[in-house]
Amino acid sequence: MFGELLKGLQTTLRYMFRPPVTVQYPDVKRPVRERFRGRHELKRFANGQERCIGCSLCSAACPADAILVVPAENNLEQPTSPGERYAATYEINMLRCIFCGYCEDACPTNAIVLEHQYELSFYDRQTSIYTKDMLLVPPDQGHGEIPPILTQLGDKRPSPPAQIDL
Amino acid sequence: MHFEKPVRLGDLILLDRERCILCGRCVRFQDEIAGDAVLGYGTRGRNWHIISKSDPPFDSKFSGNTTDICPVGALTTADFRFRARAWELRPVPSICNHCPVGCNITFDMRYQQIMRVMPRENAAVNDIWICDKGRFGHRFVESQERLTQPLVRRGDRLEPATWNEALDLIATRLADIQARHGGEAIGGLAGERLANEDLFLFQRLFRDMLNSPNLDHHCGSPAEPPDDELGVLLGPGSGTNLMELGKGTTVLVIGADPEEEAPIYRLRLRGIADRGGELIVAHTRPTRLEASATHALRYRPGSGALLARALLSLVFAQVGSSKLSQRTPGIAELETAAKKLKLASAAQGLGLDEAAITAAAERIMQADHVLIVYGADTLSSGPSLAHDLGCLLLLLGKAGKPNSGMLPLLPQGNSRGALDMGIRPDKGPGYTALEKRGLSAAEMWGAALEGRIRAMYVLGLDPAAVHPQTHAALAKLDFLIVQDMFLSETAQQAHVVLPAASVVERDGSYTNAERRVQRARKGRETPGESRPEWLVIQDIAQRLSGLIHASNGHDASSRKAGKGKRSERKAASSEEAAVLSSLLLRWDYMTVSDVALDIAEIVPGYSGITHEALGRTGTIGNWGRQTNEAFYYDGTNYENTEGIGIQYPARAEQSNFRFSVKPYEVKPFSGDQRYPFVLLVQKVLYDSDPLLRDSRVLPHVSAAYVALNTADAQRLGIRSGARVRVTSAAGSLELSARVFADMPAGSVLIPALLADAPVAQLQTGPQTRVTVELIEG
Repeated sequence: MFGELLKGLQTTLRYMFRPPVTVQYPDVKRPVRERFRGRHELKRFANGQERCIGCSLCSAACPADAILVVPAENNLEQPTSPGERYAATYEINMLRCIFCGYCEDACPTNAIVLEHQYELSFYDRQTSIYTKDMLLVPPDQGHGEIPPILTQLGDKRPSPPAQIDL
Repeated sequence: MHFEKPVRLGDLILLDRERCILCGRCVRFQDEIAGDAVLGYGTRGRNWHIISKSDPPFDSKFSGNTTDICPVGALTTADFRFRARAWELRPVPSICNHCPVGCNITFDMRYQQIMRVMPRENAAVNDIWICDKGRFGHRFVESQERLTQPLVRRGDRLEPATWNEALDLIATRLADIQARHGGEAIGGLAGERLANEDLFLFQRLFRDMLNSPNLDHHCGSPAEPPDDELGVLLGPGSGTNLMELGKGTTVLVIGADPEEEAPIYRLRLRGIADRGGELIVAHTRPTRLEASATHALRYRPGSGALLARALLSLVFAQVGSSKLSQRTPGIAELETAAKKLKLASAAQGLGLDEAAITAAAERIMQADHVLIVYGADTLSSGPSLAHDLGCLLLLLGKAGKPNSGMLPLLPQGNSRGALDMGIRPDKGPGYTALEKRGLSAAEMWGAALEGRIRAMYVLGLDPAAVHPQTHAALAKLDFLIVQDMFLSETAQQAHVVLPAASVVERDGSYTNAERRVQRARKGRETPGESRPEWLVIQDIAQRLSGLIHASNGHDASSRKAGKGKRSERKAASSEEAAVLSSLLLRWDYMTVSDVALDIAEIVPGYSGITHEALGRTGTIGNWGRQTNEAFYYDGTNYENTEGIGIQYPARAEQSNFRFSVKPYEVKPFSGDQRYPFVLLVQKVLYDSDPLLRDSRVLPHVSAAYVALNTADAQRLGIRSGARVRVTSAAGSLELSARVFADMPAGSVLIPALLADAPVAQLQTGPQTRVTVELIEG
């Protein structure tokens, strides 16, 4: 019996001298995998135009019916996106979203990308609906910069979807 | 290779050249089916593309159909372009009630919004086509100007009120007026666009509850046509299908302009001519259909009745009346009257060749199927024209036969339904005779001025806009209720305004020109607190039943004695009579379908026409859903899975049909020294219809004008664009002139129902005489 106790403590002792696998979240955040599917972002082209052309294919592909797109016709002098149509309304209900990434697959312009942000919590249902303002990256971003996680890992590749241009 | 896009083919249709495969379906549709050859090909080689050849561009009333049949989506409508994806839409089967064709349409809804309007296939009505008014003219539904709550007059202003307040006020005021002045002091007008169920309950409210015979569906302007019954008595027999007609058919289109009055009929009639049928187009002025005619007759304005009589006399000469004398009292008198007419003098009065008239008569006599289409011009030129042509059909033995009959192009979407439901002073539902004749709309205005009419209920009509003289009469009323979607001119004078539902916001059935009853379904909620008409009428009746005492109740059953099927059964026992009267006094309908069940029970001709029966599909047509869809692209129109409607039989199909002939006197048209011109009022498709608001076809609504013949204009020194004054015995109107070479001499034409041109102000009767003078030019 005493021998078995020592045998158990041996494992404990062994782990005592190893670095811990847990981190002090939220002070420390563990890097996610490169293909992790977190909160969506709507990307832009290098000229600042929105990649989203309001085709609604993401919404059609969504198995959870989380996406609402209401398209409108572009003002040809100052187009919001390339082509004739843009998304006037783009909303994702994060309580419905199952983060399957089908929207990303369906998107013909790589406009919607599931990024690495995973801290999604809400006090009420209304705030769980992310509108286009929240999803769309600022005008000077979202076209091929290296994702923070890759920088953290020391990898200099930009995220794959944003490499592809129209 | 990139092209500039979009290319505007017209203001409604846009072309994406990068998608276009130059299959030419749109060009072929315009050439072969619409008969408006406005599209064509531009340039050659790699710049080959579709162009519009007309000015204004894409000048066709059927342009929207090209987007349905475009196999690649290169053609889009300005109305629906990029508003939603097709798979997101919720199709709601409905009926277009902009004109009497009654096209089967689908409202494609996204949540509560109408995204687009699409045709729904029905071979007996519209095939797979609809006109642009139907396709683009339903934006009024979402108009910001819709009434959303009841308004009650307090002092000078109409102020919002609750439904309870408004309905209580209506009930107490109507009961009070009824008690003090009797039911005759209350008048009711109901529009021809309402559903049959609304109209049925409306006439019940008046006849059963208020004990008032004063009902009409007109606005009471002077030249309104008399109520048409020939379309029911001698209408095209059951099983009529215009799509199958061709060789062996003669269609006489007289005094009708299908392009403007009922556009889809133009496609169907020219289709008959295409397939080898004879198409005789008779009108005072050129019409769009005339281009497709095999035989065109242009008669002098005002002489249409003479043409009908001349044709009739030729048929009498050939056929004789002996076979008919049994069932058609009065035919012998008509024969003598017709035989008195000399063809030569008739031809002179008509301004036609004798040979042309004989040729037309021969074509009619030789045909297997004879279809007589008549429209606004015929209807408004007095009863004798259509009546004589009806007799012609009887003589030829075509009445009540499939593919033959009288087809009136009535003014509105559910005009036939309004007549069927008895919204008229002289006949009850199903054209049953009434003991007491009420006042017609025109008589009501006079009675209101004299104080004999104290209260009126105007449902879905705007007489003040159509006929400005009614303002005084409306102001004289003690109590005016208006129920409408918008705050119309009439509504502004009302004591209570009730918000109504549009066609998309309620269930209901509508009857088209060919007596086909069709069902529309609800697609969205009513805006604000507005409610469907039938529910409101029921609420008023329920409140009234507590206020108007039982005396009405027991004489209701006796008044019903002349009313349709139920009474035919002759309630034997008193028990049965009690059940009967309780049924007739019923005001507890839960759904529209319940009302339709009662209509099927009570209204002669409507037996079996329940909502369930209307939902059945029979022969839909053979355009869509081919057996091998891989080979046939059938367009994006909808398969009709929601019912093709039921055509109730014409009276002439019944074995006990009797037609009493009236030998009207036909006088040649005589001139008038003081007023040398005849006023023609043309019904136009794009008019100042309040339901066209917010629509993309609004730029196609022309400004008011008066059209003159070149010779007349020259004589008066009038050029196109000049301001002229048109004066009749009733009043005068200032308009800008347009001069046309092909207008009949001695006549002026004013389009009906355009803004700032209330033609009713000029009219004195069916053929108003006017004079024209130049103001400045």
